[in-house]
Amino acid sequence: MRREPIDPSGLEWTRVSPKYLRVRLLGWLIGSLVWILLASVPLVLRLTGVWDSFPPVWLAWGLPAVVLVSAVWRGILLPRQVRAIGYAERDDDLLVRQGVFFQRTMVVPYGRMQYVDVAVGPIERAFGICTLKLHTASPATNAFIPGLPTGEGARLREQLSARGEARLAGL
Amino acid sequence: MTDGEAVAPQSADEWRRVHVISPLVRGWIALVAILYFAGRDWFEGLFDADSRGRGPLPEGVGLLLAGGVVLGVVVVIAAVFLVSWYFTRYQVTAEHVRVHSGVVFRQQRQARLDRVQAIDIVQPFLARIFGLAELKFEVADAGESAVRLAFLKLDDAKKLRATILARAAGVEPDPDHPEEVPEAPEREVVVIPPGRVVGAALLSGTTVALVVAAAVIITLGITLDTPFIATSFIPLLIGVVGAYWSALSTGYNFRAATSPDGIRMRYGLLDTRSQTVPPGRVQALGIVQSPLWRLKGWYRVTVNVAGYGASASNEGQARATLLPVGTRDEVLQILALVLPDPGTPRPVEVFGAGMTGRDGGEGYVTTPRRARWLAPLAWRRNGFTVTGTALLLRSGVLWRQLVVVPHERTQSLSIDQGPVDRRVRVANLQFQTTPGPVSPRVLLADADAAWDLFHGQSVRAAEARRRSGPEQWMKPVSLPVAQTVDGPDHHVEVRATTGPGVPDAAPGDSGRTAAVPLPGQPVGVHDADGDRPVDDAATRSAVVDGGPSTSGGSPGGPVGPSGATDGAVDRPAAPEQAAVMPEVPRYEPAAPQASPSLEEAPDGRR
Repeated sequence: MRREPIDPSGLEWTRVSPKYLRVRLLGWLIGSLVWILLASVPLVLRLTGVWDSFPPVWLAWGLPAVVLVSAVWRGILLPRQVRAIGYAERDDDLLVRQGVFFQRTMVVPYGRMQYVDVAVGPIERAFGICTLKLHTASPATNAFIPGLPTGEGARLREQLSARGEARLAGL
Repeated sequence: MTDGEAVAPQSADEWRRVHVISPLVRGWIALVAILYFAGRDWFEGLFDADSRGRGPLPEGVGLLLAGGVVLGVVVVIAAVFLVSWYFTRYQVTAEHVRVHSGVVFRQQRQARLDRVQAIDIVQPFLARIFGLAELKFEVADAGESAVRLAFLKLDDAKKLRATILARAAGVEPDPDHPEEVPEAPEREVVVIPPGRVVGAALLSGTTVALVVAAAVIITLGITLDTPFIATSFIPLLIGVVGAYWSALSTGYNFRAATSPDGIRMRYGLLDTRSQTVPPGRVQALGIVQSPLWRLKGWYRVTVNVAGYGASASNEGQARATLLPVGTRDEVLQILALVLPDPGTPRPVEVFGAGMTGRDGGEGYVTTPRRARWLAPLAWRRNGFTVTGTALLLRSGVLWRQLVVVPHERTQSLSIDQGPVDRRVRVANLQFQTTPGPVSPRVLLADADAAWDLFHGQSVRAAEARRRSGPEQWMKPVSLPVAQTVDGPDHHVEVRATTGPGVPDAAPGDSGRTAAVPLPGQPVGVHDADGDRPVDDAATRSAVVDGGPSTSGGSPGGPVGPSGATDGAVDRPAAPEQAAVMPEVPRYEPAAPQASPSLEEAPDGRR
């Protein structure tokens, strides 16, 4: 994957499944459609003459236009965002990174993991991927890896549990 | 955890009940309320009876009936209390504490002793009158007490605490008197005079709020020319008095002591509380100074302890406060208890610079100059430094804050960078700890330095965990472990910033680049990114090879060898060191001499 300046050197990031992009695109498509439809309501009402004067025409056109542009922008960003999600297993810890503009890299030591969640939603199941979430004693540890192939998710879960047990350190 | 212990019959293993009147003490408010409502009707009826002359009942019968009803209610309540008391039993075994409770919905709870995060003995006012106390056993479940035994006789509560702590610590019981566990000796280290608690309350934000609100009200009253607005003082005063009261009642008579079982805190005006935080249970520690407290040089020390959780209530905040208001010396003393081994030969300077300092002195890495427009005031103070045992994070100009995170307590850490940050090559680090008032983070650090810290910290944390003491802090095993690990210790320290190595960069920022030399000292040899430009190495921290001469993790380490390492650079600091030498013993764990098992305490990793 593309290396970001923030990335640690000498690390092999594992990318998430490309299917996750399709899931995200699907969600994006549905969400965008709903928003555009909602934003078009004043325009339709205005054009059909139900509302005669209140929203000026430029505003009636502008609202859906703005929503459309932002939706397109997010759509353009999506592939990059998905590509930016990565994780790396090291000897003692797991690194998770995400974000294009606002980048974040998190390191979670295996010995600190309290438990590991694997969650699958209906759409994710249809695409054969899952989301893995790590929990430490700190609720602020917000480390999750979306878009793992089901097999890889199960493997990672077992791997993390095993390593967590081997390196278990109290608190 | 020895099996022999579990098998051997011990009197403490038997099932016990809490004190018989404890339901009364717990439910006294409910009881008073019921009596009040039941009694009021009856009482009012007494007086109304004459005027209305109601009812066919003769005088005496009405009174008798009312009395009977009240008595019946009281008897029923007492019976409920008695039954609930009867069904609540507890047991302390060698490994567990168990509590069975509930009549219809039964609950059986069992908590491992070595998972103890803190033990509190609380005496609410009413319980204090009866000489009773509540014992709270905290494990790492963020806030909710795992075991609450309310109420026990104070002596029994203390004995039970001693027993639990001794077993949790892994102390071998005396074979002759297995049930007799002497309370661990303790020595008082900080006592806060009541006057200072009052002063601290007066210099708190409450006063500022009061003054501001009063000014607003008076101004409004004058401009609107109406006296009625003065009534708005009443809610204001109620709030202010409440705030003062809570500050006073939780800070009153505060004393902190050290004992082999950890840090003891006692405080309280009407309700008293005695907290014990065993060694190694402090996840993060924050030292805060509000602007007004600067006048007196006072600080507040709060901690994240897994058992305490993040509670916004007065009680929760008081519990997480290790020192409600203390001077610099007292803060250092408390720090020495939490972190017996500061991991630096100059703890007083390093922590002092963290509490009040600015710029790069004492090895602090601050926000680079190019990013100062992102934090015009705080950029000289935002900073971090690393000692052999802890990470120090400094921030805040008006509300000065220093956060100390022992290396082995880091849960996870994240680094983040937004588009603006990227432009000026800075990044933020966030350290996740257990819930609590302290939130360790580094703001706007140089990107390379932040990454170095990110990478280095995960290595250091892993290493510190490996050599950290056992959960059972007095287990005899810990001593040899600590000794054998001494060797690898030095490898760990490779990335540690030695105090004296850097401070001389402080006089002039421009001089820093020149001061970088580190000839013959391999820069970042053990590091994945040793290929950083040299000038970055300067702004970060001097990376010194942790050869045998670095005092590394030894407690209160000898200043000599490390000073010799950087002898040439270190000249100006020498007089300071001499002046500070008497301070250094304060960083020895101030433990009572009585117990021989204390010898191992200075090994410090807890």
